[in-house]
Amino acid sequence: MFNPLDHKGIPLESQIRNWRELNVEPIGPEAVDPYTRCRIITMNGIEVEAINFQHQFARNCPDQEVRRQLAYVRYVESQQQRVVNWLLPGVASVLETTLGYEQVAVDLTAWVARHEPDPYLKQAYEFGVLEDFDHLYRYANLYEMVERRKAEKIVNGLTEVMPGRPTIVEHRHPFDEVRTPYDRDSVDPRSKLHALTILSAEQQVMFYYMNVGPQYMEPIARQLYQEISLIEQEHVTHYESLLDPGENWWERLLTHEYNECWLYYSFLQQESDPRIKAVWELHLQMELAHLQQAADLLRRHDGREPEEIVGSAGLPEPLTFEPNKDYLRHLLATQIDLNKLGEGYVREAHERFEWMQQQLHDGQKPPSEQVIDLHRERFGDEYRIETEGPHPVESLRPRGGSHA
Amino acid sequence: MPDTRAPATPGPEEDVVDLLLAQHAQVEQLFLLVIGSTGDTRRDAFDDLVKLLAAHETAEEEIIHPLSRGLPGGGGDAMVDDRLEEERQAKETLRTLIAGGVDADGFETGVILLRDAVLTHARYEERYEFPQLRQHVPAERLRSLATAVRAAEKTAPTRPHPSTQSATGNLAAGPALAVIDRLRDAVRRPADS
Repeated sequence: MFNPLDHKGIPLESQIRNWRELNVEPIGPEAVDPYTRCRIITMNGIEVEAINFQHQFARNCPDQEVRRQLAYVRYVESQQQRVVNWLLPGVASVLETTLGYEQVAVDLTAWVARHEPDPYLKQAYEFGVLEDFDHLYRYANLYEMVERRKAEKIVNGLTEVMPGRPTIVEHRHPFDEVRTPYDRDSVDPRSKLHALTILSAEQQVMFYYMNVGPQYMEPIARQLYQEISLIEQEHVTHYESLLDPGENWWERLLTHEYNECWLYYSFLQQESDPRIKAVWELHLQMELAHLQQAADLLRRHDGREPEEIVGSAGLPEPLTFEPNKDYLRHLLATQIDLNKLGEGYVREAHERFEWMQQQLHDGQKPPSEQVIDLHRERFGDEYRIETEGPHPVESLRPRGGSHA
Repeated sequence: MPDTRAPATPGPEEDVVDLLLAQHAQVEQLFLLVIGSTGDTRRDAFDDLVKLLAAHETAEEEIIHPLSRGLPGGGGDAMVDDRLEEERQAKETLRTLIAGGVDADGFETGVILLRDAVLTHARYEERYEFPQLRQHVPAERLRSLATAVRAAEKTAPTRPHPSTQSATGNLAAGPALAVIDRLRDAVRRPADS
């Protein structure tokens, strides 16, 4: 398997791009491969995490020379983020991009859950994916109300749209969001990459919703973004707590760069749009040099070899965007009523959960319920895309029909 | 086949912006259908598209843009002039496509260009024009305009006679123009009263 540690990549001094190179042509607004959009959204989240992580590192680093090196690579990562995110078309609406974000959250998390070797970590992804699955359904109903368009236009048959674990019960006491971290020395290196990838994606979803939500004039849109952005924040807590807090800054930097190599390499393998594929290829070559720099810093300041952090076997199996319909239906059928207590999972509505629900809902329906009620009121039904048959959970089948 | 029905059952709350949004969605669907099909399906879809675009753009030119010109805060005129220029260019492309017919060389390329122009135009309206209307025009007025537009469209022929050789030509000259006339009559009356 491709081992990024064996490659030098593009020299760092050749990585600053000019305006012409930054001014990328976006993907088409119509009839695009939904998974091309998903790969763009994923890599944007990864680059945003790279930038934010390096800012935090710099604020905690007393060595001026290291701070300069971090500043340089951070600038390059910033240009990468601008290029990647600017591949999204200006004609797409905020809600259309939102539906793309949720499709990412569903199919990316489902793939990671299927490939995660550690059962406790796997459970964390299986738990989380059913919640994002529900968000897709809520936003799809909002989309038809506000823009009069159908989410099918965005997901294009690859991802189903129907209730997951209802958003109303996703609001838990923050204590119960905190998970048990993996152990940095014994964990499979793949698990480190999985955790960082999902953390980055969810963090970007949170940033996006908490910032674009107030741009809407429609009260239900403003309220739904507010509610779901709070859940996404809980997801960030959920996923970030899986990472070993004992990992030091040097090894975290290395893991970040290695993860970027893995994802650009993965997307390079499957990209259907040749122009976007060239971006993934270029960015992989850039990341290889960032990884070399991170490896040098690790050796010099931590006295360890990069293989001690990420293994010597090379990259794991490429992460792939593909339909996960059967898997999601299986999870819906078996884990819909799961809740969290402490660092584990339970099926009962425990006291702390009930307390939080009471504080937040206070006898009112949350926006995630109102959006479906409003859709029923205005359109006579709710919006779903159930391509593989009726909902596996009988109580979540539509009351009085749906249309897609 | 994509669903090209009007996505919304009009409720009492529906205003003219809702109606135009639903038409934008239908226009998107019809473009997909035209681009993705051949033969009679393509011809029929293109006929539907031409008719919808004619009615839709007329409603915008007759109702929406004049309303926008008078909005407080200034800038309305320049914005409307930009939209009208886009509509003028789109009509020119559309005329060429109608004249050549769906079997003409270059139809495919032309219709993709038209789609990109029309959808961009629609997004400009949705982002910069419609929110201003909802903010400044009384809700009741916007709702009554929706009723007027719907009524005008209902009285127009719903579909050209199928399988005649010049269906598209007939459409451009006949039913589409009829829709436009009825729309003009219908919307001018309540607006003037």
